[in-house]
Amino acid sequence: MEDNLSLLYQDVILEHNRAPLFYEKRPDAQCVIEAYNPLCGDKFKLYIDIDGENIAAATFHGYGCAVSKASTSVLMRNIQGRALKQLPSLMDGFLKMVENGTEDQPADPEMATFLMAHRFPSRKKCAALSWQALKDWMTDR
Amino acid sequence: MHTASLRHDFPLFRHRPELAYLDNASTTQKPTAVVDAERFFYEHLNANVHRGAYGLAEKATAACEAVREKTRAFLNAPSARQIIFTSGTTASINLVAQSFAAERVKEGDAILVTAMEHHANLIPWQQVCLKNKARLLVAPISHEGVLDMTAFEKILRSESGKVKAVAISHVSNVLGTVNPISDVLALARKYSAVVLVDAAQSIATHSLDVQALDADFLVFSGHKMFGPTGTGILYGKEKWLDSMSPTVFGGGMIRDVAYEKTTFASTPQKFEAGTPNMAGIVGLGAALDWIENIERENIERHVQTLLAHATARLQSVPGLRIIGQAPKKSGIISFLLGDIHPHDLATFLDQRSICVRAGHHCAQPLMDFLEIPGTVRASFSIYNSKEEIDRLVAAIEDAQVFFGRLAIK
Repeated sequence: MEDNLSLLYQDVILEHNRAPLFYEKRPDAQCVIEAYNPLCGDKFKLYIDIDGENIAAATFHGYGCAVSKASTSVLMRNIQGRALKQLPSLMDGFLKMVENGTEDQPADPEMATFLMAHRFPSRKKCAALSWQALKDWMTDR
Repeated sequence: MHTASLRHDFPLFRHRPELAYLDNASTTQKPTAVVDAERFFYEHLNANVHRGAYGLAEKATAACEAVREKTRAFLNAPSARQIIFTSGTTASINLVAQSFAAERVKEGDAILVTAMEHHANLIPWQQVCLKNKARLLVAPISHEGVLDMTAFEKILRSESGKVKAVAISHVSNVLGTVNPISDVLALARKYSAVVLVDAAQSIATHSLDVQALDADFLVFSGHKMFGPTGTGILYGKEKWLDSMSPTVFGGGMIRDVAYEKTTFASTPQKFEAGTPNMAGIVGLGAALDWIENIERENIERHVQTLLAHATARLQSVPGLRIIGQAPKKSGIISFLLGDIHPHDLATFLDQRSICVRAGHHCAQPLMDFLEIPGTVRASFSIYNSKEEIDRLVAAIEDAQVFFGRLAIK
């Protein structure tokens, strides 16, 4: 039965949870986006700086479960220096994968480790939390 | 208590024998008698209440009214008309807040709650205060989770009559703390404050005599005492209920209606607009019978045995911190395990068919006070066993290894 758990909590996810990348509070960033799940209270702040049409810097800070923290860490790594116009398709691809468990493998293998979240309906939201928040922010922009 | 045979009385456990269901503070499972009673209502009695002039409707009405009387006896209320059927604790509290409090709490007045309230016993009062420009005061608790009675009295004294209402849970849904409800009521009376007791977490285990307590209002849900979801009770003193206006309008709650105005029925019907959850009410009656048959003292004794066992076992787990260390607790135990997030632990436990609650338990201000993001909560009932607690502890120890595996490497 713990095999199932190992699918969700792969080493990659636990490692990102233990030592998240780009984990830094930057209240002075150009944009501070809140990723918040009122059901469980998990809350991250995403600190984003934009330079023209690209993400210049992205860091995050906050509190959440291993899945949400790791997925935010992977998100941060994936958007460093990215063109803003690439973000919507990146977000959509990840969110669809988590929601439906689609087999379209993302280019980043670390992103693909979150595929298994779709098998845990109560945990999909954890994987999607910061990705959805960034997507909503892009839409409202 | 023969938990094995009792457990067999619950259809869900017959279908899911593997489950260690430790989320009873959230909702309890339903015994066959309750499920059968709802079914019986639909199969033999179904007609609308207080409406039809035919035998079937009279029988349906009588079945519901019999539960009103049964509830009266359960609480030792003076009269059955003081028992209002609602959809649950939340609806009961909202009714008192929006009718009783909204009409009496004026600008500058105050409503007093405690720092350990569930959102359902906090937000309804907060909203009345915001609307009426009144103040919401919060009686502090210690970090162990004990209500500070000295501070509680100090607030009442210093406000000298401004506190119009006090809302307090008998048992905390997060900490398990059993509040000294008789002392709270006595103090509030001394300062002329009206008290609502939220008995959602104590109704299945504690004998509650509303006359002995002299409670103004007492509320609870059916679904936390082996009854159906969507059922609840509001008990109130007659003088309060009779003076209160209804907040929900419609059929079944009127005396006389014209386009210009309506006069309302008397208590309790004026608070029961629309067709009530009749099958649920009948199921609630079966739950009351079921509890009376087992006897609440036996449920409480069993739950206390489990609490003592769980506390001793969990305390021995390295890195585990029990949240809520009041000397008097009910069968609710909250904890944190090292830096493992409550949801990660709950998912792990779920894989072993152990059902616990994880999160802020609808008590965010309490979490802020304790400076924790949430907890894992195990809560016990009559059908739980020491073996299930041992399973929980073993799983927790395995979870530590599972989630800590990278740190060990």
